[in-house]
Amino acid sequence: MNSKLYPFFVGLVFVLLSYGTYQGLVAAPPVEELAAGGEAQRIFYYHVPAAIVSYTLFALNFLASLIYLWKRSSAADAFAVATAEVGVVFASVTLALGMIWARYAWGHWWAWDMRLTTFLILWLLYVSYLVLRRAAEAGSSAVMAAALAVIIFLDVPFNYMANRWFRGNHPEPVTLQSPALKYALFANMIAFVAFGAVIVWFRYALERVEQRVAAIHAQRAAQGAFSLALPAMFFFQNSHGNPIHYTYAGYTVAWVIYIGYLVLLTRKVAKLKREEQELRRSADR
Amino acid sequence: MSSSVLKLTAVNLTKDLRLEWRSRDVFNSMLFFAVLVVVIFSFSFEPTSEEARRIAGGLFWVAFLFSTVVALNQSWARELRNGVLDAYRISPSPPEALFFGKCLGNFVFVTALECLMVPLFVLFYNLSSAGSLWQLLLVLALGTWALVITGTFFAVMSIRTRNRELMLPLLLIPLSIPAVVNMVGATTNILTADSSPVPQIKFLAVYCVVFTTACFLLFETVLNAE
Amino acid sequence: MPPAHQALKDTEITLSTTAPPVQVQNVSKIFGRTAALRNVSVELERGRFYVLRGENGAGKSTLMRIIAGLSHPTQGQVQIFGVNNREALDRMGYMAHAPLVYDELSGMENLRFFAQLYGISSDAPLEDAMRRVGLDPTLTRHVGQYSQGMRQRLSLARAIFHLPPLVLLDEPFSNVDPESANQIAKLLADMRSTGTTILLITHQLGLLANIADEFLFLSAGKLVSRSPASQVHA
Repeated sequence: MNSKLYPFFVGLVFVLLSYGTYQGLVAAPPVEELAAGGEAQRIFYYHVPAAIVSYTLFALNFLASLIYLWKRSSAADAFAVATAEVGVVFASVTLALGMIWARYAWGHWWAWDMRLTTFLILWLLYVSYLVLRRAAEAGSSAVMAAALAVIIFLDVPFNYMANRWFRGNHPEPVTLQSPALKYALFANMIAFVAFGAVIVWFRYALERVEQRVAAIHAQRAAQGAFSLALPAMFFFQNSHGNPIHYTYAGYTVAWVIYIGYLVLLTRKVAKLKREEQELRRSADR
Repeated sequence: MSSSVLKLTAVNLTKDLRLEWRSRDVFNSMLFFAVLVVVIFSFSFEPTSEEARRIAGGLFWVAFLFSTVVALNQSWARELRNGVLDAYRISPSPPEALFFGKCLGNFVFVTALECLMVPLFVLFYNLSSAGSLWQLLLVLALGTWALVITGTFFAVMSIRTRNRELMLPLLLIPLSIPAVVNMVGATTNILTADSSPVPQIKFLAVYCVVFTTACFLLFETVLNAE
Repeated sequence: MPPAHQALKDTEITLSTTAPPVQVQNVSKIFGRTAALRNVSVELERGRFYVLRGENGAGKSTLMRIIAGLSHPTQGQVQIFGVNNREALDRMGYMAHAPLVYDELSGMENLRFFAQLYGISSDAPLEDAMRRVGLDPTLTRHVGQYSQGMRQRLSLARAIFHLPPLVLLDEPFSNVDPESANQIAKLLADMRSTGTTILLITHQLGLLANIADEFLFLSAGKLVSRSPASQVHA
């Protein structure tokens, strides 16, 4: 990370996220509608921004892949990796939070609702993209991943059309009558976009370093969401607990996923640093 | 498409059919697999004839989706044995001919399987269709093409990965869910005659056109990705 | 060589002007974190017989695959008769470690399939190639039942049936009985004398005593030396 601005941005994101979390958890007035899940509705302030960030990142992944196929620039490839991987992390958070909320509001973790189904398939598609990147022969992975990204992106509209017959349980985003609610969502939206941008930036820079050290692959964040969900199922045996607990659980899970991902990235940085030192030492000799 | 591509597609297709006729690698493994799926399903559900009409579409396509994966893996394994694919790649022949030859070859294999399996389904599940037969045939053809075209493309990708046999279903299944949903929907609608299958058939047609074009354009890039 | 094919060959040579058969410029190839080739540059002259040598893992096969257009160099470029190697595919013949033929087809069926990929639809050049490598064109046995030596000879026939002015051979003598090896060596000598450029990887130098013109040595991905065959034998 040679940019001096980076620490400043990290600090800014930290402040924004703290403020957004405060807004979502405390400052925003509770929504009284029963369907929204009462206090558990606060999950929404994390759920929606995470979903929007993941959509944006997947779209950027498509653009980066097209540029890679056209120009064969390694920067575009690095950007495609960064956006897909961070996109999967945010999509995992979206899914996990949605499931926790549904457990309270609907009484079950999952419903084969149009939006849930399409989002799950989208998540699966990008996980398969990351799996391909990991498994491909070193020389061909970038080209094949770019081709796959294009095919996946073409599949998205079909995905939406194919599932439009499913009964819709998913609430429309209309719970924002009061300005205070809008404000809390807005604060979190800004915070999440900034957060996503900083992680992508970090991940991109990391991939560039990897490429420079003749890059291969590192830990991917594809796992995580479900292994965490399993123990959680035992904690929420009855669906009529205190709704705010669901919000707490949701926020916690989101942070476990984010921090887990960041820990993976940090380990990767440490590994690269070790390797860089080894390379230096062998160059000195 | 130039005439030489068409001619070479025919050359590739003939070669694939001849190899298959001699070894029967693809067909035997596919047939065995599909029969197993049907038998297991019928043990697990024991459906009445009314229920069978509702679930047959789903069972049918699940069996074919997995059989297609088996077929594709086998038909590419043949190109990898002795490294023959390299001989193709160093020839001045257009890669698209190889792609369409393979697609058509696999289409023939899977269709042949369907011709055997449909009577078996009817027999095991005591099925009778309330809708029209030609619509069912159209859905079969479009659905098979949709699976084969993306499957052939992903098979070329997966042969460049470690654990290649596993990679193909990992790539193909999530991507083909929209198509499978519509194949199942159309088939069920035809069998039960509850509602019109036309929207799903249109969906499948558009899906086939879009992915045939995209895979055609990207195939050379993926084949020579090394 | 029958006159008809000699004529075909003459047109090929006039097509290819005066550019060198192979021109490798600053080629590097990196697999993951290891460099298989480091900045290799080499130019081959027409009608000469080159032997590529080096220890296992020195990058010999990688270099040959890059010249053949099977693998993209990470850096640098390759020109064949003055054009990009992907545009000169019909002027190259390549014989790999693996035989590159279908086990379920007979020898002639294999050649017929590959010939069509090169736009050749008559049997004459194929039967000729079979005879030149010492195989009987009327053999109906499938390649799966061939001996190792026969398979290797068929593989050579597949590489040369279109009479390419440049032939790349990766270990053509491995796992081959001495008789087949001698026959292959003799054929290569004939081809060289008719103006074909040959690049060959082998450890069995004895077979090439009077055929090879020049030795290229690769070590750890670098081209370390070039020396005329006469010096090496002296």
